[in-house]
Amino acid sequence: MNLTTTLHGKSFTFRDVKDVLARANEEKSGDKLAGVAAQSSLERVAAKQVLANLLVSDLREHPVVPYEHDDVTRIIQDGVDEQVYAEIRNWSMAELRHFLLDTASTEAMIRRISTGLTSEVVAGVCKLMGNLDLVYAASKMRVPATCNTTIGLRGTYSTRLQPNHTTDSVPGVTASLLEGLSYGCGDALLGLNPVNDSVGTMTEILKRFAQIKQEYAIPTQTCVLAHIKTQIEALKQGAPMDMIFQSIAGSQKGNEAFGFTTQTVQEARALLKSHGTSRGPNVMYFETGQGSELSSDAHYGADQVTMEARCYGYAKAFAPFMVNTVVGFIGPEYLYDSRQVIRAGLEDHFMGKLSGVPMGCDCCYTNHMQADQNDVENLALLLAVSGVNFTIGVPAGDDIMLNYQTNAYHDAAAIREVLGLKPIAEFDTWLEKMGITRDGKLTELAGKPELIFGR
Amino acid sequence: MTQEALVELIVKAILEQTQSVVAPAVKDYNSGGLASAPTANPHTSARIGVGRAGARLRTDTYLQFRADHAAARDAVYNDVPAELLQQLNLPEFVTQCQSRDEFLTRPDLGRVFNEQTNKAIAAHNPQPCDVLIYAADGLSSKAVAANLENILPVLTESISQQGLRCGRPFFVKYGRVASMEQVAQLTGVKVVCVLIGERPGLGSAESMSAYMAYAPTVGMPEARRTVVSNIYSGGLNAVEAGAYVAEVLGRMHREKKSGVELNEG
Amino acid sequence: MANTLLSVGIDIGTSTTQVIFSKLTLEDLGGRFTAPNIAITKKEVIYRGEIHETPLLNHSLIDTQALCVLVEGEFRQAGFAVGATDTGAVIITGESARRENAAAVLQQLSGFAGEFVVATAGPDLESRIAGQGSGAQAYAQEHGLHVVNFDIGGGTTNVAVFDCGKLTATACYDIGGRLLKFTPQGKLIYLSEHAEKIAQTIGLCLRVADTPSLADLRALAQAMAQQLEVNTCELLTPNSVLLFSGGVADCIYRTGHELFAYNDFGVLLGQAVRNSRLFGYQVLAPQETIRATVMGAGSYTTTLSGSTIGYTHADLFPLKNLPVFALSPQQEQDAFDHGKADDFAHALCDFVQQTDANCVAIAFAGKPSPGWQELKRLAQALQQAASQAQLDPNIPWVFLAQHDIGKALGLAMTPYAQGRAVITLDGIDARQPDCYLDIGKPLMNGQVVPVVIKTLLFG
Repeated sequence: MNLTTTLHGKSFTFRDVKDVLARANEEKSGDKLAGVAAQSSLERVAAKQVLANLLVSDLREHPVVPYEHDDVTRIIQDGVDEQVYAEIRNWSMAELRHFLLDTASTEAMIRRISTGLTSEVVAGVCKLMGNLDLVYAASKMRVPATCNTTIGLRGTYSTRLQPNHTTDSVPGVTASLLEGLSYGCGDALLGLNPVNDSVGTMTEILKRFAQIKQEYAIPTQTCVLAHIKTQIEALKQGAPMDMIFQSIAGSQKGNEAFGFTTQTVQEARALLKSHGTSRGPNVMYFETGQGSELSSDAHYGADQVTMEARCYGYAKAFAPFMVNTVVGFIGPEYLYDSRQVIRAGLEDHFMGKLSGVPMGCDCCYTNHMQADQNDVENLALLLAVSGVNFTIGVPAGDDIMLNYQTNAYHDAAAIREVLGLKPIAEFDTWLEKMGITRDGKLTELAGKPELIFGR
Repeated sequence: MTQEALVELIVKAILEQTQSVVAPAVKDYNSGGLASAPTANPHTSARIGVGRAGARLRTDTYLQFRADHAAARDAVYNDVPAELLQQLNLPEFVTQCQSRDEFLTRPDLGRVFNEQTNKAIAAHNPQPCDVLIYAADGLSSKAVAANLENILPVLTESISQQGLRCGRPFFVKYGRVASMEQVAQLTGVKVVCVLIGERPGLGSAESMSAYMAYAPTVGMPEARRTVVSNIYSGGLNAVEAGAYVAEVLGRMHREKKSGVELNEG
Repeated sequence: MANTLLSVGIDIGTSTTQVIFSKLTLEDLGGRFTAPNIAITKKEVIYRGEIHETPLLNHSLIDTQALCVLVEGEFRQAGFAVGATDTGAVIITGESARRENAAAVLQQLSGFAGEFVVATAGPDLESRIAGQGSGAQAYAQEHGLHVVNFDIGGGTTNVAVFDCGKLTATACYDIGGRLLKFTPQGKLIYLSEHAEKIAQTIGLCLRVADTPSLADLRALAQAMAQQLEVNTCELLTPNSVLLFSGGVADCIYRTGHELFAYNDFGVLLGQAVRNSRLFGYQVLAPQETIRATVMGAGSYTTTLSGSTIGYTHADLFPLKNLPVFALSPQQEQDAFDHGKADDFAHALCDFVQQTDANCVAIAFAGKPSPGWQELKRLAQALQQAASQAQLDPNIPWVFLAQHDIGKALGLAMTPYAQGRAVITLDGIDARQPDCYLDIGKPLMNGQVVPVVIKTLLFG
C-alpha cells in the first residue's frame, strides 16, 4: 500500500488510509474544525492521487472506526457480498471510478458491484469525482422503495411535505399541509418535525394526517419525526404509523449520542411491521448530515464525508423507505458556504445511491451560513437531474419551527415542469383527479387549498 | 368528406389556433387566476395562502422572503451597537476569534480568551459574588440589542432581592455559550448565566437565550446547563424572562446544581 | 411531568340535574429549553351520572334535601369520597337559577363537593360552558370557523358564538322544552308565563287542564323557533356553523319521538327548530347534547393562570369570590407612563366600600412586552391605589394581568409591599362587569394556579 506521492516536485506522505481519505476531501469547514483537512490545495490533490492508486481491499481492510469497537463498522463489513468483493478487491480506486462512469456499465452491473463495497470505498470513490461526475454516476442508479406507495422510479421526482409549526398546533399544521398538497407536494411523505417530543403530540398529529389521507384518498405515507423511543411508545399505544424515523450517525458512539442503539432500531422496525399501518416492506426513515459525528465527538479522527458514507452503509441494513441528508442544517462550522453545501448534497446523494439506499435531500441553509435561497434552488435542480428520490417542500421555503430555509412548495412543481419529471404515478393521478395538475402542470386551482379541499 | 372540405377544415383549425395565439385572453396578473393575494391564517405564521406566479412565488412573497433573510443575516453579521454597551456600562471582552467569520466556523475559539483578556475578566470582578450574569452576541446581535436593556436590570434587582451578591456584568464579543466555563474559572463564581443571541429564523432575529450552569467546568456534559430560550417580544418578554431566570439562578445557588439535575429536583 | 385534577361538574337545570366527573391533565408544554408553559392538555370524562329530574318542593323552591341525596348518590356511584375533588363547578341554570332558594342550594352543594369547587350561575357563563361542553368551541378553533351553539334546555335557550374558538357573544332566551308540561294523554298541566305570552302573540289562548289541539301546539312551537331565528339573526353570518345541544337537541337531530314522550313541549319544539330557517345554515351534531352544560361545568370552568406568576406564600390560596376591579385603558396608560394612580385610586376606594369585600382583585391588561422602567411605574401606581383603599393589611393584594408580566410585576411590587402578601397573576382577562374570581392552590410545583372567573354571584 503506497501512501506517498510527488506532485509538482513536492513529496507528500500520508499517515494511513484514514488520513488519505480525510485530506483527499473537497474543502469543508468541518474537516478543518476537526483538524483533519488538507493543509494546502496541493496536498488535497496529492491525497486524491494516492487514493486513486489504493486498492478497494486497502480501504475495506482499514475501516476508519475499528470493527471491534463499533457496530456500525460491523454491520457494514458483515453486509459485504464476499463473492462480489473477491472480483473487485484488486481494483484500484481509479478503476472503480472508471467502472462507475463507463457508458457500458449498466445500472444492474453497478448495483451488483455496489454490494461488494464498504462505506470507506464508497466515500473514497466519491472523493475522486467532480460535481458533474457525481451527477452523471448517480443518474445511472435508481433505488426505489415501497411503503404504501413506491418512490424513486426513473422519471419521478417526489417531495416530503413538511408542514412544521411552532407549537404543533393541529389546525396550523393542517393549514400548511393542505397548502402543500395544493401545489402537488407530498408524494414521498407527509412528515412533521414536532416541537414537543411526546406521545400525545405525535399521536394527535398522526391522527390528523391519517384522517386527511383517508378523507381525500391520498396515495402517500405519513410520519411524525419524534425521537425513536417516543415513536415506539406511540406505536404501542396504537398511533397510526406508516414508518419510523430516526437521525443516525456513522459510528456507534454517534448513535448513542442520539440516544438509541442498533437494538432500538431493530425493535422499532419489527414493531412497525407488526403494528404499523403501511404495506411495506420499507418502513424506516433515516436522516443524516455531514458533520453530526464531529459535533458529538464521535468521528474517530475521520473526515465528515467518510462518516456520512458510513451512515448509508448502516441504514442499508434496515431497508429504509427514505434516507434524507439534511445537508445545510448543521451550520457554517461544518459546511461553510453554498459551494460546500452544494458539493455535500451531490456527494451524499451519490454515496447514498451507490450504497443502495433510497436517497433524498433536504436542500437547506441556516441564516448564519454564506448561502441563500438561490443556492438551494440550484442544488434541488442538480439533484433532480441526478435522479434524487425526493427533496423537501415547506411554505415559501421558510420553516417557521426549525428556523431554517429549504425548498418551497412551489419548487417541485417548477422543477417537474422544467425537467419533464413527474410525481409517482398514483399521486399524479390523484393530483389530476383533484384538479391540482393537468398534463404535468399546475392548474388554476393549484395553490388554492380552500377551493380544492373545501376547508 | 372531399379533399377540399378537409383542407378547409384544417385551415380553419389552424386559423383558430393562430388567432388564440395572436390575441390571448387578457389576464389580471395581480389577482384571480394566476395568483391570489396572501391571506393571513389565524393558526400559523407559515407563509401560506401566498398564491403563485406560474410555479414560482409571487413578487411580493419573493421580496418579503428576501427582506426577512436579509434582516436575519444582518442580525448574525452585524455587531452589537457600542452605544448600547456604553449606556449599560458594560465593558467588552473579545474571545480568541479574530473576525465574525472565524467566530462562525470555529466554535472552539468562541469559548476562550487570550491571557490578557483572561486577566481583565478576573479584574472586572475582584470581589467574591454568588451569581455572575453576562451577555454575548452569539448568533444574533439584534437579539442582544432588543432585550438586554430590559432583562439585565430585572435580573440584577431580583438577585439582590433574594439576598445574593450579583457580580458586575459585561459583554463578550464573538462569544459562544461554552464561554461560561472559562468565565466561571476566571472569576471563581459558582452560578453563571450568559444571555446570548439565538440563531435567527426568518420570523424573528430578536430571540435571546439564557444559558445557566452551577460551577461549569470545561468538558462538562451539556445536560448540566439550564436553558431558557425564546426570550423576545414575540415569545417570553424580556422582563418576565428576567424575573423567571433570576428565580432559577437563585434555586441553582441554593441547591448547588443545574441542568437536568435541577429539573429532577 | 404531568399533574391530574379530579374535577366535578354538577348542573342543576330547569328540568334535569346531572353530575359528571372528569380528569384534567396538566402538562408543561414548554419543553426543556424554555420557561414553563403549563396547560390543561386533556379533559377526560371518567364518570357520567344519570340524568335526574331536578327535585322541586313546589314551583318556586328546589328540594335541597332531595338534591343532596341525589348528588351524594352520584359520588358514591362514581366511587369518589365527598370532598375528594380538586376542582369543579356547581352550576345552577335556566329557570332553576331564578327559584327562591337557588343561592342556598348552591351554597350547600358547593360545601360538600370539595375545597375548590365554585358555585355559580349566570346566563353568560351558562352559554359559554354549554358551547364548550358541546364541542362547539373546539370545533371553531380547530377549523377556524364561526360556530354558534344553541343549548336548548327545559327553561331557556343559551346561545354562544365562537369565532375561531374565541367567545364573541352570548345570549339567553326564555325558550325551552319545559315551558309547557302535559300528561301522557296531552292534557296541559303547566304553562309558563313566557309560553303564555308567546301564545298570545299568535292569538292562542292556552289554559292549564285543557287538552290543546296539535295544530295549536305546532303553531306555538313554530312561533318559539321563529323567536330564536329573529333574535339570533344578528349573531349569525352566512358561513356560520350551528350546533344544538341541551335536552331538546335530541329531538332536533333525531326524529320519531312520541310527541309527549317526556310529558313536555321538547319534541314539538325540536321539530319546529328543525323546520326553521336555522336549518338553512350548516348544522353539525355536537359531541354532547343533554350533557353539554354539565360537561362544560366539569371540564371547562377551570382555567389556568400563566406559568410565570408571583405570590408570596402558597398558603394564601384558595381565595374565593374576589370581586374584580378593572382599570380602564386610560388609567392603565397613566400608570405605565407616570406611575400615578390619582385617577383610579378613588374609584377603587368606592368599589371596596360598595362590594364590602375584604379582598379585591385589581385587573388590567398589562403589555405584551413592557420595559422594566414602565413596569416599575405601574407597580408604583398600583401600590398608591391599594394603599389609599386601605385594604386590611392582613389580606393579600391581588393583581391580575392579561399579558405575561405576572412574575416581573411581583418583583416590581416587592419594594412596596413592606411585608404584606402580594399575588401577581397573568394570563387572566377579568376585565368585565360584575366579575368574580376564585383562585385555587398552586399546582405543578407551584408554577400555576387554577382560576375560575364568574359573572354572577349569589349570596
